[in-house]
Amino acid sequence: MSTEGLSILVVDDNPLNLKLLETALSKEGYTILKAPNGPKAREIADEKRPELILLDIMMPEEDGFEVIKKLKNNSNTASIPVIFLTGVSEIDSKLAGFELGAVDYITKPFHSLEVSARVRLHLRLSHATNALIASQAAKLKQIEKAQSSMLVTPQQIPDAKFGIYYLALQEAGGDFYDVLDITDDIFGYFVGDFAGHDIETSYLTSSVKALLKQNCTPMYQPLESIKLINDVLVDVLPVGKYLTSCYARLNRRNKQMTIINCGHPPAVYVPKDGDARLIQMDGDILGMFKDVVFGKETVRVLPGDRFFLYSDGMVESPDKKIIWSEGLQIMLEACVEVRDVPIERAPESIVKSIFGDNTKFEDDIVLLGVEV
Amino acid sequence: MAFEELAANLGLEPEEFTELVELFVETADDDLSKLNAALEANDVKQASDAAHSLKGSSGNLGFMEISEVARVVEEKARGGAIDGLEDSISQLNEKLDVVRKQL
Repeated sequence: MSTEGLSILVVDDNPLNLKLLETALSKEGYTILKAPNGPKAREIADEKRPELILLDIMMPEEDGFEVIKKLKNNSNTASIPVIFLTGVSEIDSKLAGFELGAVDYITKPFHSLEVSARVRLHLRLSHATNALIASQAAKLKQIEKAQSSMLVTPQQIPDAKFGIYYLALQEAGGDFYDVLDITDDIFGYFVGDFAGHDIETSYLTSSVKALLKQNCTPMYQPLESIKLINDVLVDVLPVGKYLTSCYARLNRRNKQMTIINCGHPPAVYVPKDGDARLIQMDGDILGMFKDVVFGKETVRVLPGDRFFLYSDGMVESPDKKIIWSEGLQIMLEACVEVRDVPIERAPESIVKSIFGDNTKFEDDIVLLGVEV
Repeated sequence: MAFEELAANLGLEPEEFTELVELFVETADDDLSKLNAALEANDVKQASDAAHSLKGSSGNLGFMEISEVARVVEEKARGGAIDGLEDSISQLNEKLDVVRKQL
């Protein structure tokens, strides 16, 4: 890998550390950008978009945690890998740093060889990821109209403990879902809705399912999986085509459910005990832009807790003039109402309670219920 | 410790290291005058910040004795005990002089 033209932003309030890192790294041929504080660092990152950022944690005023939070919330800088610079004794900081999306840390005092080795490693990783995205995209482009993709049933993965109501109208056909058994304890649930019904979506659906299978692995955090899928989709989707989606990853081992929202209606969370709520968050749509910020919330769960993911057909009705905000409330109540219905049958009961028995549906409907 | 050895520990050329030491001496002087001022003004926060900075920069170049004394000062200052730090400060001054003489 040629280091030419690769820029690295170094952020430290101590001028000596800046100089030391610059000396060590510029020898390797990188272009070094320097910032003595957080705001300056964010300004440079936004403007120059370096390949990598080395970020000191202990800085006056805006510390490294603040800086990384803001970097991750700016679509221009969200995907730049960040390595934290920490003192020997700051174990807690390291863990907090990983939580906030740092890829690694370097402990001070640093040896220039360690610094350049780690920098090289992470640059290589990020290049490999980009190459992986390109190769996945190339493969997907070869998928011609795939066999009408099979939708997974609860009987096929009983351990995933889910129920599904799926209605695809011929003329629409933008909604779909998937369920993945990632390990014995980890499951992924995906509900997506292609926007724009003008183009045939069935082969796009197979593409997304292939991408889910490839990228939703224990190797990646849920947010990383969806970002990878986004980056491939940006390359393969026809112009103007995109999807909204909600991805839920359940880890029964550590009792966590992580929800990633990409411009989709909010998931419903019905705890076994306690009040149900909507998991509201902002998130960009999937497959349209390379630099995006998705919504993410992680919930600590207990056995018996339930989550419902669904498409917008569940919560809006142009004919009946029901808009999202109203529809969401109706949806939330309907999910609570069926608390005693087994999860396999709960989605159907919810649809019945909202639409009645013999309704003419206006849009596709997907409703997926999961029980922890 | 000889500069050559310290430079080698960091994976740097001796000239590169000397340049860094020059910068270090400047920032260390700055840190020390801030520290002195803070002690006079009884400013605990500024004292621990200055000691922290000195601890980091000296440690990063491998001047571990200076870093160790600075660490003690930082901890005492953070704990609010800035009395009786004169000894430590004169130690820091002495050790810095030794570095300065090698330039």
